[in-house]
Amino acid sequence: MATNVGPAIHVAGLRKTFNVPVREAGLRSAIKSLVRRETTEVRAVDDIGFEIEHGEVVGFLGPNGAGKTTSLKMLSGLLYPTGGEALVLGHVPSRREAAFLRRITMVMGNRNQLQWDLPALDSYELIRAIYRLPQADFAKTRDEFIGLLDLGDLVRKPVRNLSLGERMKVEIVGALLHRPQVLFLDEPTIGLDVTMQKRIRAFVAEYNRRFGATVLLTSHYMADVQALCRRVIVIHHGRILFDGGLAELAARFNATKTIGVMLKEGTADLSAYGEVIATDDEKVTLRVSRADAPEVTTRLLRDLPVADLTIEDPPIEDVIELVFADAASEVAAG
Amino acid sequence: MSLRAPMTSLAPATPPPPPVAAVGRARGLINFYLASIRLAIADQFQYRVANYFYMIGMVAEPVIYLVVWSTIARQQGGEVGGFTPGEFAAYYIVWTLVRNMNIIFTPYGWEQRIRQGELSGMLLRPIHPIHFDLGYFAGWKFVVIVLWLPIAAVLTLLFSPELDPRPIDVAVFAVAIWGAYLIRSVNYWILGMVTFWTTRVGPIFELVFTAELLLSGRLVPLSLMPDWAQRFADVLPFKWTFGFPIEALVGRLSEAELLGGLAMQALWIAIGSIGVMVVWRFAIRRYSAVGN
Amino acid sequence: MAAPSRDLLRPLRLFGLFFRVGALNELQYRANFAIQIFQSAIALGTGLAVIGLVFSQTTELNGWSQPELLAVFGVHILMGGIIGTVIQPNMIRLMEDVRQGTLDFVLTKPEDSQVLVSVREFRIWQAVDAIVGMVVLGVAVAQLQVGVGLVQTLAFALTLVLGGLMIYCFWLILTIGAFWVVRMDQIVEMFEGVYQSGRWPVTIYPGWLRYSLTFLVPIAFAVTVPAEALTSRLTPETLALAAGFAALILAFTRWFWRFGLRRYSGASA
Repeated sequence: MATNVGPAIHVAGLRKTFNVPVREAGLRSAIKSLVRRETTEVRAVDDIGFEIEHGEVVGFLGPNGAGKTTSLKMLSGLLYPTGGEALVLGHVPSRREAAFLRRITMVMGNRNQLQWDLPALDSYELIRAIYRLPQADFAKTRDEFIGLLDLGDLVRKPVRNLSLGERMKVEIVGALLHRPQVLFLDEPTIGLDVTMQKRIRAFVAEYNRRFGATVLLTSHYMADVQALCRRVIVIHHGRILFDGGLAELAARFNATKTIGVMLKEGTADLSAYGEVIATDDEKVTLRVSRADAPEVTTRLLRDLPVADLTIEDPPIEDVIELVFADAASEVAAG
Repeated sequence: MSLRAPMTSLAPATPPPPPVAAVGRARGLINFYLASIRLAIADQFQYRVANYFYMIGMVAEPVIYLVVWSTIARQQGGEVGGFTPGEFAAYYIVWTLVRNMNIIFTPYGWEQRIRQGELSGMLLRPIHPIHFDLGYFAGWKFVVIVLWLPIAAVLTLLFSPELDPRPIDVAVFAVAIWGAYLIRSVNYWILGMVTFWTTRVGPIFELVFTAELLLSGRLVPLSLMPDWAQRFADVLPFKWTFGFPIEALVGRLSEAELLGGLAMQALWIAIGSIGVMVVWRFAIRRYSAVGN
Repeated sequence: MAAPSRDLLRPLRLFGLFFRVGALNELQYRANFAIQIFQSAIALGTGLAVIGLVFSQTTELNGWSQPELLAVFGVHILMGGIIGTVIQPNMIRLMEDVRQGTLDFVLTKPEDSQVLVSVREFRIWQAVDAIVGMVVLGVAVAQLQVGVGLVQTLAFALTLVLGGLMIYCFWLILTIGAFWVVRMDQIVEMFEGVYQSGRWPVTIYPGWLRYSLTFLVPIAFAVTVPAEALTSRLTPETLALAAGFAALILAFTRWFWRFGLRRYSGASA
């Protein structure tokens, strides 16, 4: 029973546990495993809940193995939840009703859905047939999207002859030809260069604007999320650590910078300049607040024989640890 | 630190417009098959050289049997098992077309499908995945039939088959080769789904293939097999995918047998289709528990 | 690069060396053995079923009685085992080397390159076929009307070796073609199909086919001729032809190998 009333996506107490076989190295264990499989339980998604309204663009952030892709797969019907409930456009995803599948789409970063040896246009015809789209309407949508992404003749070349970025563009058009109302984008810009990433983001934004579609986007790249999402959900170890406005989270993410310093010779104690988070033979890594970064850099360059200096945004794992620590301390504070 | 405003608009209070009106279901499925066939023809035509190599390599098997049985026929005074050398030639040349029509998505293909995540892509579509295989391979068959014609011509020149089919033989043959294709497609889909439960599929598949080899009319015309084997073959689907279409064209069946054969094909397609629907439900539950 | 040894036994010594190393590695792959036994059993069963069918309709095929036909089958399996254990693995690896451009590693070694590419690979579990073949042969020989004496056995061994060498040459010639036409893996599949023709004595095939299966793809020499030796059919002429053709094809293969190498090195230089 489908409905347009209520939230587009409703998730409550959603859980997914996998039983993963466990085996040590060695011949003995190999033989033992033939007889009896030892498994251990992995909680990929551990009791998450949220509601997403029609037309929202929500970012799902988290490091590898955090449970992002698993959550998306449960919402698109590819995985059965172990527990809890999920409703997308009023449908239960795991029932995989045809009406449900016609209203969603899932784009996975480096997966090809189009026929490899043929031009994308040929595959689009097949997609039209799969989703039973009337000809005139389909042609209009297709040409609109081709124009938006400035594909031109790319759709006439065999997909195998396209570069990675071009391939992603034609794939994403193919994924949206049936004008789905809910988009699940799993690492859509992975492996693409910066220009291409921007184009894909612009396209998704435009699609959302024109058709009011709901978008759930997972990514490693803060830039994707910053460009598209007003709301982010941070997930780690299968749990939601943060669900709220991007501005708020952005403030925390951008709170620090990491500075990597390589000296021409010798070593030095850099703890006076900032928090030392790693040292090895050649390189010392400091964490400083974003505001202090320029000043610390100047001092380092002035005081020390610096051979190489890099300034980077902290890796997402570090940042999430901070978010987690914050959330934990908030809980502790009451 | 500047934070550019995101490109998306604020969430609208009203839900989005309803999806585009869809074409009817039956017509939609026919359109899908037509589109699939068109796509497959375009795709496989690019690989015509590889297809040719494969088809030529396949010719060795029937030619060998043809020679062996023709030799025996000549030795035994002109015929054996009711076949003359010319009729053996006809049997084995038609064999090459039927053999090609029998080629479907291999049950071994499921392992890659599951492991490489291709299955996930198929599951996101509002169409049962078997239609993808049925449609694509059907299109491929058209390419194969065209490529086969010169091979058949050469074989005819070399082995002088005796072939004189009546119109009804040709008509039934034309239907029966597609019936054979469907029977095999659904049956091996079911067999392939074993992969959802175990990776040790080799022995299972090979045993089924061997039974098929022996009981389908692929090795020898079934009339040359011992009686008990023929009775056995009657109740299995293999004969209806191989021996029956060949014998329909080579002109050895009465009208009743021709139509009865088509009925048997329809029966096996029905049984297979039900099997697919049932087993698929279990397979998908299994996949959705583990997934890729 | 040191001059290659003139020792004629060198190929055998190298073979032994690679065998020890290769076999020890492969023995670990027990799964491959199990699969091979299973596949060989099925092939054996199917082949016996066909022979059974043939002899349910007749008492002899082209002058060959049932035990004699069984002997042909046995030689076919045995030779198939030899091809699968030592010949094909080397040729497939050579094709891979050409495709990947790693043939140079072989060419810089101080051994004769042709010998090296011919003896370095093994699929030891294919030897199951050789054993099955010999068992079938044993059964066939036991049933033969005319006994098998020392002469037949020696002739059999000799023709088997000659036949094996000829198949090896055929394969190598085909693979050298890979220097020019890189995509050769379909040829492997085609060979398997054509090799099935050796299940039966080549005398049953019509003229043009028989000549092709003798001189184009030397299956006659690999299977039928040794079977003839075992069933006392071997004429001195055939033996001489086998020896002569073997010498010819070995010489040609040697020359073709050198020719191909020059082309290969020239191309990559």
